[in-house]
Amino acid sequence: MDKRGFLKAGVTAAMLAGAVLIAGTAGATGGGPLVGSPAPNFTAKDSNGKTVNLADFKGKTVVLEWTNNGCPFVRKHYGSGNMQKLQDEATRNGVVWLSIASSPPGMQGHVDGPAANAEVVRAGAKPTAVVLDHNSVVAKTYQARVTPHMYIVDPKGTLVYMGGIDDKATANPADIPGARNYVREALGELKSGKPVSAPNTRAYGCTVHYAS
Amino acid sequence: MKPVLAKALAAAALAALLCAPLASANPVKTERVTATLESEVAAAAPGEKFWVALRQQIIPKWHTYWINPGDSGLPTEITWKLPAGAAAEPIVWPVPKRIPVGPLVNYGYETDVRLLVPVTAPRDARPGDTLRLEAQARWLVCEEICIPEEATLVLEVPVAAASTIDQNKREGFAAGRAALPTPAPFTAAVAAPGTPQATTTLQIDMPADMAATIKDVYFFSERIDAVVHAARQTATAGRSGLTIALPTGPLPMKADESLSGILHVVEKPEAGGQTHAFAITAKPDPNMRLALAATTTGNAGGDGISILEAMGLALLGGLLLNLMPCVFPILSMKALGLVQSAAAARSQARLHGLLYVAGVLASFLAVAGALLALRAGGESIGWGFQLQSSWFVLLLAYLMFTIGLNLAGLFDFAGGRLAGIGDSLTRRSGGGGAFFTGVLAVVVATPCTAPFMGAALGFALAQPTVTALAIFLALGLGMALPFLLLSLFPQALRFLPRPGPWMERFRQFLAFPMFATAAWLVWVLAQQSGPNGLALALTGMVLIGFAIWLLRQLGGVRKVASRVAYASFAAIALLAALGTIAAIDSPVVAATQSNEKQASDAEWQAWSPQAVEQARAQGKPVFVNFTAAWCITCLVNERTSLSTDAVRNKLALSGVVRLKGDWTRRDKAITDALAEFGRSGVPLYVLYPADKAQKPRVLPQILTEAGILAELDRL
Repeated sequence: MDKRGFLKAGVTAAMLAGAVLIAGTAGATGGGPLVGSPAPNFTAKDSNGKTVNLADFKGKTVVLEWTNNGCPFVRKHYGSGNMQKLQDEATRNGVVWLSIASSPPGMQGHVDGPAANAEVVRAGAKPTAVVLDHNSVVAKTYQARVTPHMYIVDPKGTLVYMGGIDDKATANPADIPGARNYVREALGELKSGKPVSAPNTRAYGCTVHYAS
Repeated sequence: MKPVLAKALAAAALAALLCAPLASANPVKTERVTATLESEVAAAAPGEKFWVALRQQIIPKWHTYWINPGDSGLPTEITWKLPAGAAAEPIVWPVPKRIPVGPLVNYGYETDVRLLVPVTAPRDARPGDTLRLEAQARWLVCEEICIPEEATLVLEVPVAAASTIDQNKREGFAAGRAALPTPAPFTAAVAAPGTPQATTTLQIDMPADMAATIKDVYFFSERIDAVVHAARQTATAGRSGLTIALPTGPLPMKADESLSGILHVVEKPEAGGQTHAFAITAKPDPNMRLALAATTTGNAGGDGISILEAMGLALLGGLLLNLMPCVFPILSMKALGLVQSAAAARSQARLHGLLYVAGVLASFLAVAGALLALRAGGESIGWGFQLQSSWFVLLLAYLMFTIGLNLAGLFDFAGGRLAGIGDSLTRRSGGGGAFFTGVLAVVVATPCTAPFMGAALGFALAQPTVTALAIFLALGLGMALPFLLLSLFPQALRFLPRPGPWMERFRQFLAFPMFATAAWLVWVLAQQSGPNGLALALTGMVLIGFAIWLLRQLGGVRKVASRVAYASFAAIALLAALGTIAAIDSPVVAATQSNEKQASDAEWQAWSPQAVEQARAQGKPVFVNFTAAWCITCLVNERTSLSTDAVRNKLALSGVVRLKGDWTRRDKAITDALAEFGRSGVPLYVLYPADKAQKPRVLPQILTEAGILAELDRL
């Protein structure tokens, strides 16, 4: 009796293990960031030569913004003041805003520290820091594809948003007023403790220039 | 007031002057793109549809975008200002190009592209009117950097009672239409997992032998981010057609969503080497086999997979094989053997374990060797290839059935060792038995691994020989591992249940997974060989059962004459059962033919050299269509050209005798005929004029309706 019970339990356990294995291998392929999973950590230098470590911001909401000041889609949001306004609102509320410049030397949007700082002053931008990712390591970690590509990490370190800045995939600043700004919406929802209603959206813009 | 009015008038005039050149500009030349609005008709008829194109001539290295731009970019947009009653449809997108940008991929157009738009003239337009079509076009043009550009283009099209083609535009529009995808002659289904980073499986229904003619395939998804644009796509040809594993993108599809796109197919050189682009919409298929989705998910994860990862996955896959209903009973049979010999020397158990591993590995290597040899011979096939031959399926079904009868207790191999060579080998005492148990486990695993491991093995076969062998070995090792561990660590044997009466019950229970497998195999066979195949299989099983029953009687019969009678009847029954294996048909390809095709088939007579001679002797022109059921180009030509009403009517009116040569089974006479025209494969279309003095004309491999009509006009 207990022998057969043992056998039966063994077979059942083995089958369950098999199912878990299938599910496990299903999840294991692909890689890259996933909304609802811990945001991959990174360490990089900012425009002032200071080291920025994502994990250090635990307890705070962090926005990652891929940028390239030559890209027409980035210009749409900076030329209109849309991005600066959002940065200002966010940082006033204690959000850490990291603008990430991944263009390698020689590519459009490449900035060194002084150039990045000058651009912040010129545009009246309000990021917490400008991260210089000249070897594209952070871009690769996050699989950033376009500028602007936006990510939000909640205070627990979970990735809660990835996608576009809004729902109007154009380079035309005239489309900003009627657009649904996903980042503003998500930050508002996070602040009031609600789940992000649109956590994965279409990121639109120019290709991120990867270091080869 | 007067000066004000004058100023206003002057301003209006100035505005008109400033706007006029812009408004009527066509083409518009920007720094990177020359945009032209063109109409195919010189005059449009009221209420009729005609083609308009936005042509973009792009400077070298720059590109504009498809409807799904890929990882970045934007598709070209047109906002129309049309006369009341006129309507413009959405852009009909030409087949895009894959444009890699670093690790990312864009879908777009380089050099010169026509974005075609069907426009309908107003019903109430009158001959003599002019239709003013104004297109406000916006596009993004990119190289490494991107520039948004726009142009307002105006085209005036006269209205006439009947429309006339603009001869200057004929060629351009023909080129534009040639760049469009062809409606797919296949149906398709999609199974989306709903979460990023898993695999979306696209199943294209086509006969297995047609899928086997495909060298390269790429699916352009119309839906943005449903799949990872930059990922390598793994395609496997199998019994159910072509299975494409698409790594799911950041915005996964819902389970009930359809997936539209363009399927880009390149045939193998020996199958014609043509390239096709099919517009295809895959319907969501919740019934698509979970096993299929799960394994393609696990094993075809794209280009990032290293040899070690692939071997790891293969090892896991091998472990899983132990739980398959076809393998577990075998393994258990052996485990029972171990239980019995547990009391015996441990070194012997260890030896048995190693021999079992050797048996499994040898079988996997044999299969891998055969597969690689076939691949070297120019064939690329999936694991399921064994199952494609009906005789093999039937043989396996009989084996399963016989083992099931044995396990159920109908007979014992100890009594008469006549049935199931494989099984009797495993029953051999000593090392030989262990080795053959390993071999049998692999043979028996095939029906289970076919659906499960197709993707992994497809991956292995796409690798260099060494990698492929490594993957097969890992698969085999995984399969042998549990048994090996038991024999190496006999302590674990203590956890195995002790022998007792339960063993007989368990053995009998194990008959049912065997019968279930046999039933499944018979089902597979019914799919392949139809009701007649099913009848043969069931007859064979009855004969096997009868033969076994006869042999069992031998024990109780003393008279030599009776013994001989029983034995001969048993032998006859077994031979008849084996005969069903020889008699079984190969897969029926014709079953997938549609009624429409059969209707047009009726207009064709079978080709033979004599039929050609006979028709020509009667002074009739002859059209010969050399085709094959597995030939994609042939199928496309039949759909787009040969079976259209215009072509069928024209053929009938011209009194053309239509002969079809079916090369599906590589008929020798057709092979020779192909060789006469310097061809080694199908399609081949030959038109013999009625006048015997004229030489036969060979038509292009890719037909168009207009092309055939023009050829028939020349008769």
